[in-house]
Amino acid sequence: MKRDHQEISGSGSNPAESSSIKGKLWEEDPDAGGMDDELLAVLGYKVRSSDMADVAQKLEMLEKVMGTAQEDGISQLGDTVHFNPSDLSGWVQNLLIEFNGSTTTPDPNFNDDSEYDLRAIPGVAAYPPVKSDPGLENTRKRAKTESSSSSSSTTTRPVVLIDSQETGVRLVHTLMACAEAVQQDNLKLADALVKHIGLLASSQTGAMRKVATYFAEALARRIYRIFPPDSLDPSYNEGMQWPALMQALALRPGGPPAFRLTGIGPPQPDDTDALQQVGWKLAELAERIGIEFEFRGFVANSLADLEPEMLDIRPPEIEVVAVNAVFELHPLLARPGGIEKVVSSIKAMKPKIVTVVEQEANHNGPVFLDRFTEALHYYSTLFDSLEGSGVAPPSQDLAMSELYLGRQICNVVACEGMDRVERHEPLTQWRTRMETAGFSPVHLGSNAYKQASMLLALFASGDGYRVEENNGCLMLGWHTRPLIATSAWRLAGTESGSELTQELS
Amino acid sequence: MAVSLSTWVLISNFKLAYNLLRRPDGTFNRHLAEFLDRKVPANANPVDGVFSFDVLIDRGTSLLSRIYRPATAEEPQPNIAELEKPVTAEVVPVIIFFHGGSFAHSSANSAIYDTLCRRLVSLCKAVVVSVNYRRAPENRYPCAYDDGWTALKWVNSRPWLQSQKDSKVHIYLAGDSSGGNIAHHVALRAIESGIDVLGNILLNPMFGGQERTESEKRLDGKYCVTLRDWDWYWRAYLPEGEDRDHPACNPFGPNGRSLEGIKFPKSLVVVAGLDLIQDWQLAYVEGLKKAGQEVKLLYMEQATIGFFLLPNSNHFHTVTDEISKFVSSDCIKTIGERIMQCIGALLCVDYVCLFKCFLG
Repeated sequence: MKRDHQEISGSGSNPAESSSIKGKLWEEDPDAGGMDDELLAVLGYKVRSSDMADVAQKLEMLEKVMGTAQEDGISQLGDTVHFNPSDLSGWVQNLLIEFNGSTTTPDPNFNDDSEYDLRAIPGVAAYPPVKSDPGLENTRKRAKTESSSSSSSTTTRPVVLIDSQETGVRLVHTLMACAEAVQQDNLKLADALVKHIGLLASSQTGAMRKVATYFAEALARRIYRIFPPDSLDPSYNEGMQWPALMQALALRPGGPPAFRLTGIGPPQPDDTDALQQVGWKLAELAERIGIEFEFRGFVANSLADLEPEMLDIRPPEIEVVAVNAVFELHPLLARPGGIEKVVSSIKAMKPKIVTVVEQEANHNGPVFLDRFTEALHYYSTLFDSLEGSGVAPPSQDLAMSELYLGRQICNVVACEGMDRVERHEPLTQWRTRMETAGFSPVHLGSNAYKQASMLLALFASGDGYRVEENNGCLMLGWHTRPLIATSAWRLAGTESGSELTQELS
Repeated sequence: MAVSLSTWVLISNFKLAYNLLRRPDGTFNRHLAEFLDRKVPANANPVDGVFSFDVLIDRGTSLLSRIYRPATAEEPQPNIAELEKPVTAEVVPVIIFFHGGSFAHSSANSAIYDTLCRRLVSLCKAVVVSVNYRRAPENRYPCAYDDGWTALKWVNSRPWLQSQKDSKVHIYLAGDSSGGNIAHHVALRAIESGIDVLGNILLNPMFGGQERTESEKRLDGKYCVTLRDWDWYWRAYLPEGEDRDHPACNPFGPNGRSLEGIKFPKSLVVVAGLDLIQDWQLAYVEGLKKAGQEVKLLYMEQATIGFFLLPNSNHFHTVTDEISKFVSSDCIKTIGERIMQCIGALLCVDYVCLFKCFLG
C-alpha cells in the first residue's frame, strides 16, 4: 500500500499571545462586525454585531460562575423555562439571572413543571412521580416578549420523501402535468391526463394511492366544473383540549378561577347541537373537579358574522379573556375584509392572550399551479405520516382523518372565490398579519415544547412526528417537514399574559 | 491565541447549552436539547446554487437523511418530481456526511451542519448525504454505526447517484467529532462487504481511551471542554459497563483490530491544536500509517474545535482547500481544466517572483 502522507500546520496568529488562557480569548475585528452577525444569523442566532462583545463577556461570566458550581447545579438550570434561543443575548442574560438568583421573588410558575401539568390530563397514568429536586431556588423570569422581525423573504420548500418507488414518480409527474394543463386552460389535455392518473393510482398502494385519488378527484371536479358541496367543518373542536386546561386551573395554587368558555361553531347538518354537547361534558367535568364553570355556544357560519358585543365580554378588571383559534382564521381570507373584521373584533375584547393554530403551508398563492404543487407535497407528507407502520388495522379515527383531509384537498384544488376557504398560509405571513394588526408575539417556551413532545410521544409514538421551536412559536411536523404552526399573541404595548401562557401551554 | 469573536461566541454558546443538557446520572435532557437546537428545513428551492430535500431511508428506525445537490445551469429550479434525477457529470463525488455532537447532540437538520454541508457541495461539486443517525444515550453503540451502514448501502444502490464514467457511485465518508468516528467504523464495514469507499475525511474525530494522555491533562478545561465531559459522552455511547478501550472508542488500542493488508480508504484527518483529545487523533493517524494505509494529517495549531463552522479564519480556508483537493484528485480532469490549472500555477509563480523582486 502506497504510503503518502504530508503534514500541514496551519497557524493563523502570534504564538506569543497564547500565554494568557483566561485573558482575551477572542479578537475583535471592527471590519468583520457586520459580516459576523450575518454569519451567525445563517446558523440560527440573531445577535447584533454591536451586542457581540457583550454577549461574549456574558458567556465568559457564565462559564466562570458555572465552573465553581457543583456539577449538579448546572443541569438543573435545564429545568427552568427557556425562551427563544435564537435571541442569544436574551437567552444568556436570562441564564445569568437564573444562576445568580434574581432580585425578585421566586415564582413556581416559572419552573418547568410541564410533566406535572401533563399528569393533570385525565387518563394519563403513564407518568412516574417526579423526584422532588433538592430546592434549587426558582427565580421569577419575565417572559421575553420582544417582537421578532419577520423572517427572510425567500420562500422555502421543505420536502420529505419516502424512499420512493419508480411508479410513484410517474404518478407525481402526471398529476403535475394535469395541473399544468388546467393552468393553461387546455381542458382536453387535462381531461386525458386525469383519466390516466386514475389508472396509475389504482396500481399504487398506501398513502400515494389515497393522495393521488383525492387529487385526481379534485382535478376532475375543477375540469368538469362539478364543484363539491359546501366544505363542511366537522367541528374538530370537539372540546378535547379543554379538560387539560381545566385540570391545570383546578390545581392552581390559591384555587381555581371561575372559567367561562364561549364556543363558536358552524351549524350542524343533522340538527344536532354539537356545541351544547361539548358544553354539557365540560360542565360535568368542572363539577367533578371543583371549578366554577359557565359555557355558552354561538352558532355562526363564519367568525366574521359575529359582533364582539354579542359575546358580552366583561371589562378587563373583572374578566381575563383568552382567545383560541384552531384552523379558524384562514377561512376568513376567502371573503374581503373577513380577517380584518375578526382581528379587530378580537382586539375589541382586549384579550390577555390569543393563541393561533394554522396549517403550515402555502395554499393561498395567486397561481393555481403553485397552489397545486404546494398542496400535493403537503398532503402527501400528511398522508405518509398517517400511514404508520401498517401493522395495526386502520381505525375509525384514521378513516375520518383521511376524509377530512380529502375534503380540504378538494377545496384547495377545485374551488375558487368565496368557496375556496382552505386558504392556508405559512407562519411568516400570519406573523406579519398579526403584527400589522397590533399584536406582539408571546414566546412559547421550553415547557410548552416539552409538553407537546411528550403528548406526541404518547399518541403517536415512533411515527416520526416532531415539535420544533421557531422564533418563539412551535411547529408540529412530520420528521423535518412542518405541518402545523402554533403561536401566541398579546396586544402590543401590554404586559404579557405570562401566567396564562404557562397554563395554556 | 485569538479566534474571531463570532466563532468564540458560537462555540461558547454551544458549550454552555451542552452543559445544561448532560445530567450527572447519565441521562440527557433531550427535550431541552431539541428546543435549543437551531434547525433549518430542507429547501428544494436552490440557495447559492444548492438545493436539498430529506429522504426517509428506513421507516423502522426513522432514519432520515438530507440530500444536498448542486443546481445546474440547465435546471436552475428543480422540479419537485425530479429531485432524484440522475447526476449527469462524468464523475460526481457523493459525500456521506455524519454530523458531530459527541454522539448525543445535533441533527442532520441542525443549522450549523446544514450550512457546512451546503459548503461541501459547492466546494467539491459533490452530492452530500447527511445522515440523521440515532443518538446516545437513548441509542447506544452500535446504533450510530448501523445507521451509517444503512445509509451507505442506500447511497451505493441509488442508480441516480452513479457517475456516468463507470456507472458506480463514487463514495466518500466524512464527519466531524463523533461523525468522524462513525466514518471510520462505517468504512470498516464497507470493506468487509465489498463496497468501495474512495476516501475518509475526519474533522476533529472523536476517539479516546482509558489512559489519560498528555494533551488531555494539559488542555483539560482550558477551552470550554473538560475531560469529564468527554467521559460522560463515552459512557453515554459505549455499551454499559464497557470502558474507553472498547474498539469503538479506541480503534488502535488494546482491543482494536489491525488494518494491515486491508484496503482501507485513504484518509484526510484534521486535528485542532487546542483540542484536548488531539493525542488520540494523532494516535489514530499513526495507527493508520503503521498499518500501511494512506493518510494525510492536517494539524491546525491555533485552532479550537468547531473552527470550520464559520468561514472567517485562515484555518477554515486551509481545510476547505485540502478537502477540495482530496475529493477532486479522483476526478478525471478534462484537458481544458488541466490547461487552466497550469496557467493558474504559472500565474502564481509569476506573482511570487514579482513579490520577491519587490521585497528584494
